[in-house]
Amino acid sequence: MGVSRALAVKATDLTRRFGNFLAVDSLSFEVEEGEVLGLLGPNGAGKTTTVRMLACIISPTSGSATVAGHSLCSDPIGVRRSAGVLTENPSLYERLTAVENLEFYAHAYGISDSERIRGRIRELLEFFGLWERRGEKVAVFSKGMKQKLAIARALVHNPPVLFLDEPTSGLDPEAAKLIRDMVVELTERERRAVLLCTHRLEDAEKICDRVMIISRGSSKIVGSPDELRVRMAGSPKLEVRLRGSSDGFVSCARSMPSVRGVEHKDGTLIISADDVQAVTPQIVRALVEAGAEIMSITPSIPSLEDAYLKLIKEGAGQ
Amino acid sequence: MTLANAMLVFRKDWLEIKRNMQVIAPIVFVPLIFTIILPLIVIVVPTVVGMPGTQFQFVGTLFQSLPPDVRAAVAGMSAEQSMIYVFTLYFFAPFFLIIPLMASSVLASDSFAGEKDRKTLEALLATPLTDGELMLGKILVSFLPSMAVTILAFALYTVVVDLAAYGIFGGVLLLPNLLWIALVFGVTPTVALAGIGVTVIVSAKVKGYREAQQLSAILVLPILALIFAQIGGAVFFGPLMILILVAVFAAIDVVVFMIGMRLFHREEILMKVL
Repeated sequence: MGVSRALAVKATDLTRRFGNFLAVDSLSFEVEEGEVLGLLGPNGAGKTTTVRMLACIISPTSGSATVAGHSLCSDPIGVRRSAGVLTENPSLYERLTAVENLEFYAHAYGISDSERIRGRIRELLEFFGLWERRGEKVAVFSKGMKQKLAIARALVHNPPVLFLDEPTSGLDPEAAKLIRDMVVELTERERRAVLLCTHRLEDAEKICDRVMIISRGSSKIVGSPDELRVRMAGSPKLEVRLRGSSDGFVSCARSMPSVRGVEHKDGTLIISADDVQAVTPQIVRALVEAGAEIMSITPSIPSLEDAYLKLIKEGAGQ
Repeated sequence: MTLANAMLVFRKDWLEIKRNMQVIAPIVFVPLIFTIILPLIVIVVPTVVGMPGTQFQFVGTLFQSLPPDVRAAVAGMSAEQSMIYVFTLYFFAPFFLIIPLMASSVLASDSFAGEKDRKTLEALLATPLTDGELMLGKILVSFLPSMAVTILAFALYTVVVDLAAYGIFGGVLLLPNLLWIALVFGVTPTVALAGIGVTVIVSAKVKGYREAQQLSAILVLPILALIFAQIGGAVFFGPLMILILVAVFAAIDVVVFMIGMRLFHREEILMKVL
């Protein structure tokens, strides 16, 4: 039996126009607590505008949304208190130190207990490896350190909902992994809801429970990364590399009832089947019996990138 | 809206401003010109070059426009004394309006438009701080240091003038007097607020600190007009002028702050950056 989870974010027909330009077009989605929803799309797709609306930085032209039960229209202060926002730019005060930045934001988000603030700041700075640099002005920080501090700022008031705009942008692979692990921990253990805008398909594949691909302000498809892969780029395929020409073995592969299609190219058969893993032994046996000399067998799983690029290309052609 | 939240914005901005030499330098150096260099020129130069015998000969038409009570006050003075008296107590007074105006517009430009330049605005606008708290905090960080600089400049000016003129006037202290106290505590706050109000309006419409500061610099023009009008004899900086200035600047404050508050909406401010 599935565990029912509370809705953290609910957007209904969220729309934003800038003059004649339609930046976000009737976007509707939900994010449950403990879930990461990735907003994936090219530059100008409307990801950042969506986050700005949900964080009550700009207002929607039409539509509505709630964040942690607070309405964007009637309770913007409640929304802002409930959400931690990592903006497109780190948005840090460079003449202030790391601690001064976090102290300001902790107070701005309504935390008044100085002891609690100090403890929280230490916890965050230690987690991000910035504790030793806490007294230095942010101006001397590297891009990656600024990004980590900006994420710490988004978390300083322990919000139940996080809006993260490109959280791994500008980070080295190790730091990017740290952020991804942190997002997973925040959602799985602490049950926070995360709306994550990203260009990095790696982030989407590794940490998002569901992904919404948006283009030109509107939603193209929503689903888990696995679902999107299958729906957009097709089922996994089996690549069988043979010694010599593969031409003579196409009909052999096609004759098998579970095989749905066979392509051949440069001595390699590319076989589609409903369940590639299950039919692999039969295919190998049939090909060997037909005299094929098999050099290698590789299951070819379509990537989210394939699905994403296919969708974006289709969108551009419309 | 809470004052505590406005003070939070004030403290954060002040911490940033005092570490920014681009902002601090003009606020420190411009008052030094008006409080030390100008009075010393007027007091030291006549002593060095020697004054002509007739007391009104050197400044000519300038003295002819003096009100009767000032003429009476300088009637028994030497040429050197009368020149120092009139210049330090009356003619330099309008220059003191430039100090709060300059300081407040530099501070307000940094506080309001500087957030756009430094791309710090979006995270600030994502906090639960209200528009009113943000605006009040930023007005305070522009107003309080401007007034502190003006009062300190007045204290320094008083010391410089009194020290330099002490011997020339036989031990009589020229400052402080009621006119200057009214100027510093009555007129300059209204001038500083006008500077802030205009900068708030300008900052809402521009993309950064420099643009805001350049546009706000036009505020100095009415003060310069006042200085030239006084030199030309059209106006004189006396008690009546102080009352007129308080009334005029208070009216300007009301108008610019009404416009400024209408323009100060987080979304409008952010949209200008995007």
